[in-house]
Formats: sequence, C-alpha cells, structure tokens
Amino acid sequence: MWKDYSVSFIKKNRASSISIMVAAFISALFLSLLCSLFFNFWNYDVEQIVLEEGGWQGRITGEIDEDDLAMIQNFANVESASVNEELSEESEIVVDVYFQDTRTIYRDMPLITEKLGLDADAASYHELLLSRYLIHDPQDAKPPLLMAFYLVILIIMSLALVLIIHNSFAVTMNARIHQFGIFSSVGATPGQICTCLMQEAAVLCAAPILVGSIIGIALSFGVIQAINLLAADVAGRHEAVFQYHPLIFVVTILVSVLTVFISAWLPARKLSRLTPLEAIRNTGELQLKKKKHSRILSLLFGIEGELAGNALKAQKKALRTSTLSLTLSFLGFTVMLCFFTLSGISTNHTYFERYQDAWDVMVTVKNTGIENIEQAEEINQLHGVKSSVAYQKAETVCAIPETDISDEVNALGGLGTVAGSSVTLAEGSYLIKAPIVIMDDAGFKEYCEQIGITSEGDGSIVLNRIWDSVNSNFRYKEYVPFIKEEPDAILLQNAGQGENPVELPVFGFTQEAPVLREEYANYALVQFIPLSMWEKISGQIGNPEADTYIRVLAEDGITLTELNALEKDIVQVIGREYTVESENRIQEKVSDENMQKGAMWILGAFCVLLAVIGIANVFSNTLGFLRQRKREFAQYMSVGMTPEGMRKMFCIEALVIAGRPLLITLPLTVLSVGFMITASYLNPMEFLTKLPIVPIVIFILAIFGFVSLAYYIGGKRMLNCNMVDALRNDSVG
Amino acid sequence: MEILKCEGIRKVYGSGENCVTALDRIDLSVDKGEFVAIVGASGSGKSTLLHILGSVDQPTEGKVVVEGTDISTMNRTQSAIFRRRKVGLVYQFYNLIPTLTIRKNILMPLSLDKRKPNQEYFEQVVNTLGIADKLDFLPSQLSGGQQQRAAIARSLIYRPALLLADEPTGNLDQKNSKEIIDMLKLSNRNLNQTILLITHDEKIALEADRIVTIEDGRIISDRKRG
Repeated sequence: MWKDYSVSFIKKNRASSISIMVAAFISALFLSLLCSLFFNFWNYDVEQIVLEEGGWQGRITGEIDEDDLAMIQNFANVESASVNEELSEESEIVVDVYFQDTRTIYRDMPLITEKLGLDADAASYHELLLSRYLIHDPQDAKPPLLMAFYLVILIIMSLALVLIIHNSFAVTMNARIHQFGIFSSVGATPGQICTCLMQEAAVLCAAPILVGSIIGIALSFGVIQAINLLAADVAGRHEAVFQYHPLIFVVTILVSVLTVFISAWLPARKLSRLTPLEAIRNTGELQLKKKKHSRILSLLFGIEGELAGNALKAQKKALRTSTLSLTLSFLGFTVMLCFFTLSGISTNHTYFERYQDAWDVMVTVKNTGIENIEQAEEINQLHGVKSSVAYQKAETVCAIPETDISDEVNALGGLGTVAGSSVTLAEGSYLIKAPIVIMDDAGFKEYCEQIGITSEGDGSIVLNRIWDSVNSNFRYKEYVPFIKEEPDAILLQNAGQGENPVELPVFGFTQEAPVLREEYANYALVQFIPLSMWEKISGQIGNPEADTYIRVLAEDGITLTELNALEKDIVQVIGREYTVESENRIQEKVSDENMQKGAMWILGAFCVLLAVIGIANVFSNTLGFLRQRKREFAQYMSVGMTPEGMRKMFCIEALVIAGRPLLITLPLTVLSVGFMITASYLNPMEFLTKLPIVPIVIFILAIFGFVSLAYYIGGKRMLNCNMVDALRNDSVG
Repeated sequence: MEILKCEGIRKVYGSGENCVTALDRIDLSVDKGEFVAIVGASGSGKSTLLHILGSVDQPTEGKVVVEGTDISTMNRTQSAIFRRRKVGLVYQFYNLIPTLTIRKNILMPLSLDKRKPNQEYFEQVVNTLGIADKLDFLPSQLSGGQQQRAAIARSLIYRPALLLADEPTGNLDQKNSKEIIDMLKLSNRNLNQTILLITHDEKIALEADRIVTIEDGRIISDRKRG
C-alpha cells in the first residue's frame, strides 16, 4: 500500500519530486567535487612533501654499521631501511626507515633505537608527511591538524547542505500533512509514516546521488586540469595529476546518502510526530502565528502589497533556504568581484608597475654561489638580451652611531619613531639590518656609471634611504636619507655576533637602487658590492643565501613568444651545469591574470551554485504552492480580487524574494569594500573607476529573471485552477 | 458486555487565561452492539470526546478503557495500532487518500498491519455498502455519498470494537444521509457492531438505541430508546 501511495504521489507531483531530485543531485555533486578535490589536494601535498623532503618516514642517526642496518631491516614492522648517502657522514650514518604499518611508527622507532643502543633522540620523524596520514606524535600537544581541518570542512559543508536541501523535502512532505493525518487516524504508526517518507526519499534520490557523484568527479578532473593550465608557469610547481581512489567514491556516496538521509529525516520525523488530530485538521493553508503588518509593502502597493507581505511572512520558513542562498550568493559574488578588482589594482601598484622595467627574465640558480657563475658573458651575447646581471644576497647587520642618523629622520622624531622595533639602540648606536647585494663586477660597474659614482678599488654603494612611515603609507611610499652621508666606511658584522666586524669602504651613497627585481626591507641599510669585494670579505662575514639570481633585461618591445624563446635559451646556457628555475615578466603577468581569472571562475561558480540552490528552492516553492495557496487565492477572488490583482501579488512576492538579498547585501558589500580599501591604503576613486558594475548587474538581473520566471509559471498554473472547487471545505480533494 | 468505559474524562486546551475546558468529568459506559448517538450543540465537546475515544487525542485527566485496555496511557505507536485494530473512524469529510483507489483505501488498516483481507468479509462489506463496482475508482471519481460509504467500509474492514462516526452525514444530501444511516444500522444489526455516532441532528439521533446529550463538556442526559 505504501508503495502504491508513494508511486502515485511521485507521479502526480512531478514538480516537487524534481525539486527533491535536483536537491539530491546538487548535494551529491557538491560533496563529490569536494571529496575528490580534497583527495587530489592531499595527494598533491604529499607528492610535494616527498619531492621536497623525501618520502622517508622515520630516520635514525648515529654510529650504525652493516649489522645494525640488517637489524633495522629485520625489525617486524619495517618494510625497508637504507642509508641516506647524502646526509651521512663518516662518523654519523643516517638511515631512512620505511614501515609497513606507519601508524605504529611512534612506538616502533624508540624500540629500534633502544635495540641499537642509541639515545631516543637518534630517532627523528617525518612529521609533516606523517601528519598527512593523520599520524601524530602522541607526546606532541599541538600536532599539525591540516587533515583534521579538511575533515571539519567536509562536515561543515555537509551540515550546510543539510540545512539547504532539507527544505525541499519539507515542502513536499508538508504538502501531505493532511493525508498522513488520515493514515494516522486509521492506525499508521509514526514509524510507518517516517519509513514511508524515507523510502520515498531513497527512491527519488538514488539516481541523482549516483549521477551527481560521477559528474562531481568529472568536474574535479576539470578543476585540476584548469589549475594545471593556469599555474603552468608558476616557478617550482610540479604538475598535478588527477587521481581517484574507489574508497573516495564510497566515502562520497556515504556522505551524500547521509546528507540526504538527514535532510529527509528531519521533516519526516517532525511530520510523523504530529498527532492525527493536528495532521487531519491541517488544510495546508499558509498561516500566520502572530498578527503582522507589512507597512512598507502596504504603503507601496496597497492591499495586494499587504497580502503579499503576509503570505511571504507565512512562508518565511519555507523560503529561508532561498533567502539564505540568494543572500550568500549575492554577497559572495559582489565581494569577490570587488576583492579581485582591489587585488588587481594593488598588484599593479606593488608589483607590475614597480618592477615593469626591472626585469624581463629571472633565473634562480639553485644552491650555487655567485662566484661559480661563469656564463654571464654568454647570456649577454644571446640574441634579444639588452643587459644582464648576476647577484646573490647576504645578511649582515651594522651599528650606526646615533649622531650619524640623518637630519631628515631626526626631524621626523628620530629613528625609533620611524622604524619602531625594527632597529635597536645600544650604547649610543643603532643596530640596523644591512643586507648585502653582491653583484657581478660588470653589473656593479654599470650601476656605478648609472648613478654617477666612480668605483675604483674596493668598496660598496649604500642605498641611503628609509621609508618615511610618518608621512606616507606602504602603498605610496616616500623615502628620506637614512644616515648622514659622511662615513667613508661602514662596519658590518654577522647578525647575532658582535665579534670580528668587517670595515667596508664606501664608494658613495645613493637613493637609487640598481635595476633588480628586489624589494628591500623598509628600515635596512642596503649595501651593493661587486663580486671582487665579496671574495675578499666572505671569509669573515656574511651569511649568503643559497641561491644566485640572474636578472636579464630584453630588448625593448619584445613579445611574449620572443621572451619565452629567450628564457628557454638562457636556461639552456645556465642549466647545463646547474639546477635552475626561470620566470619571465610577460608570462608571469599572463599567468597572474589567468590565476586571478581561474580563482574568479571557481569562486564565481560557487556563488552561482548557491544562487542555483536558492532559485531551485524558489521554484520548488512556487510550483509546490499550488495546492497550498489555491484556497487562499480562491478566498481573495471570492471577495472580488481580479486576476490582475493576483498577478500584482505574485510580482510583489517575486520582487521581495529577489530584492531582499540585494538590500541585505549592498550595505554589507559597501562596508566590507570600505574596510578592504582602508586596510590596503588604496585610493577609493581609483577603485570606483574600476568598479565591476556590469557583471554585478548581470548577476542581479539573472536572479531577478529566474525568480520572476518561477512566479510566472507558478502564478499561471494558479490562475488556471478552478477556484470554486478550492472554496469547498474538502481539503482532501 | 461492557466494551467501553470512560471515567472522569477531562480535556483542557491552553493554559492560564486562555484555558478552555472542552470536557469536564465525563463518565460513560457502552455495551457491545449498542448504537449510541452523542448529540450536542456546536462546541459542546462531542467531537473532542469522540477523538479521545478513538485514541486520536489524549485526555488531560481520566481513564478510557476499551475491551479491558486503558487507552489513555498509550504511547503514539500503541495508540496507532489500537486505532488500526479496534477503532473505525468515519468523518464528515470522508478523509480518503486521493491518490489511492477505493479498494486500497478500504484495505488500508489491514495493509498497515501487513495482513491479507478475508475476501468473503471484504465482499460482504462492499456489497452491503453498495460500492462493489467502484473499487478501482479514485475517490475524486465518486459522489460524496459513495465516498462516505467507502470511508465506512474502511472503518469496518478490521471488525473494530468501536465504530466512531463524526457527523458522517454532515456533507451529504437528505437521500444520501438516510442511506448512510441505514448502512450504519445494518452493520450494527448484522455485524453486532458497536457504534458511537456524533450528530447535532436530532432526527438522525432518533435512529440510535441510546442518546447521550452533551452540553458545555458535560453529559446532561443519557436516555435509552425503546
């Protein structure tokens, strides 16, 4: 009987059945996409860790001989163990250990070290990699929780989906309260009613869940491909390969089924708990619990406005999903567009405009000192190269007597006021960061000529400027001289060590930095020195960074294709001997724009998805309210409301449903954009000229259009109904 | 043989200032095979009494015993099973499921119990009620009188201890009303079915063996006829 009843109901109420199926499809699609993306991000993360740090799980360091190694290899849970030649020294051998069951690693490793007669701290763990498998040191009070974070996101998303889609079930179930009252009155138990509804949900949702899950996988494949395409030129990134595991499919299906189950169970349980009397008396009409008065709508549209307002208030619960999804999608879409516009303006100011002419191709030579780079001339000879310079950076500090601080800085209130805690004053001198930029000799000479300083002998050029943080913000920086241009030499020392300072002769002071793609610290006294000078002092001072950079400027008017070819040539020259990473300016700009576009598409798609959920809810309501509101409209007609009046009511309701999210969103958007502009110190007028008004208006119009369409269809069906029948007090018919 | 016994039934709706006493200390006893009419003006509490007797509603105070079982303390599931097996309810507005055929509507209490109908009894009921040729129709394809007969058939299909009819003729014309009352009398006589009929129509009440009058939630008269 239940089967006949459900089949018959599904057949006769296609609109509400479709709305349930769409809800199940969307939730499965979303969860499948989420699970598959998480799995792929996780996989990528693990791959990245293995590439950068190796795939070892445990590591034992100490005096380990062949027998010890065999002992490790024969340990019950050890899959393999091998000597890490790269890290091992004669006295200390490093053994990488791989386990069969990694979960017991924190128990097994101490046992192994104990057997080897080593201290417990001889064992180390690849905590980052292990944490990706949710394996944490039991002693660690604050283990990395990235995976747990992923899981929490999944649970939150599922709960959000439950909140969103349970309404589709509620709408169709509530339409039958009276019928379930009849069942109840002839002896159907709450359990039987609940089971009937759940079976109905299962039948309706099985196919959409399966299809949604499969399409979700396909979409995630698309997203991974899109990310690969957009981020193809990001230096140091390895390509993501789409991967999928049957277990993920099982998890997706389980989570989707659970989400749909809870969504259906919530209204089903509520409905089955109604007493037969409550249910049988329910005519399905919209009821207001309290007296309400829709002042604004009444004022604007008269009695139709008041009636529409009351109807909307009575449907408040049913329309909650629409309001929430539409508001979130409006808000998300507008804030996202404004954010990307602001971010674009900011990137232009802080990066593309600032470094427009500072570089065309940048090559990072990995783990190589500048003294080893011998291909500079060869690079300069390449077709299309205007100039090139190789440079390396090193960290030092210098002590500047208080009396040597420039008058301009003192006029601003002293170095303490300008630089705050970035500098420290001790015994009458300021300890200031003094990064060294070591340039190849030819590049340094070119720089000296550019700023009009003679560079005979050994010495440095000091970038004598400090950000005037009192009178300018970080976005539009102004500089003043850092120190009085008096000293012939500056004493440099290694950070954290006061001993063995090196006196570096100063050729001259400048406020003009060389053409390098570098952003110097705000309160540092940067020194530029030639390689020949560095070779003399490097024994005593300086912690050079591991990598050396080669900045290449190309001929004017070079195109992307030409620059790509030039980049390839340069890499060929330098990459023969060293590991290199390269970037080129035009490609980076294109990639950056693509990344922004990609992010906008992904976030935009999320907003559109939210809007679709909201609109689907409006459709399910308007198509489902035929039975619910037939009597209401029949009553209006019986007291003389014309079909035009009813159409007016529909229009008002559609206007409110689509307009309310807009009204909520606009002030919130203005506030958040205002906050973003203030925080980023951008000129508001600059933002206003680039305000993404067209896409926002299109989005708004699309939502208004769809809500109007839903009301047009629902309203048309309502107006075609026989209202006289509806006035008879037979709510069963 | 006593089939129904009510002791001190009270039903109060709301609380505080909004408190309304629908039934006030009702004592009632009905024997098997009796045809009792409960009459009273609108709002007198007769429908509330019927809902409590049918376990559709619970009393605020008091005890209702049907065939030796106290139904006033039952939980929802027990009440539902009790209604299914021991009570047949007939409403003014038929309350048939519009998407099920008349046959399935009639067999609903048995289907809920996953029981097969006794074909002979089923045919006897539908033939007596004159709807044997309407079994494969949907409720909306039948007249009001035919729908009410189907509702009575559904209420009788489980051979309930009590048949409770709440204004079963309230929505019917005179001819159909008479036919429905005749059907109820027939089932009372032929099947020894205990019937409690709620009506505000004195003429219909006169068809019963006993008339109980309710006013303001109290029984003000209880007289046997004939």
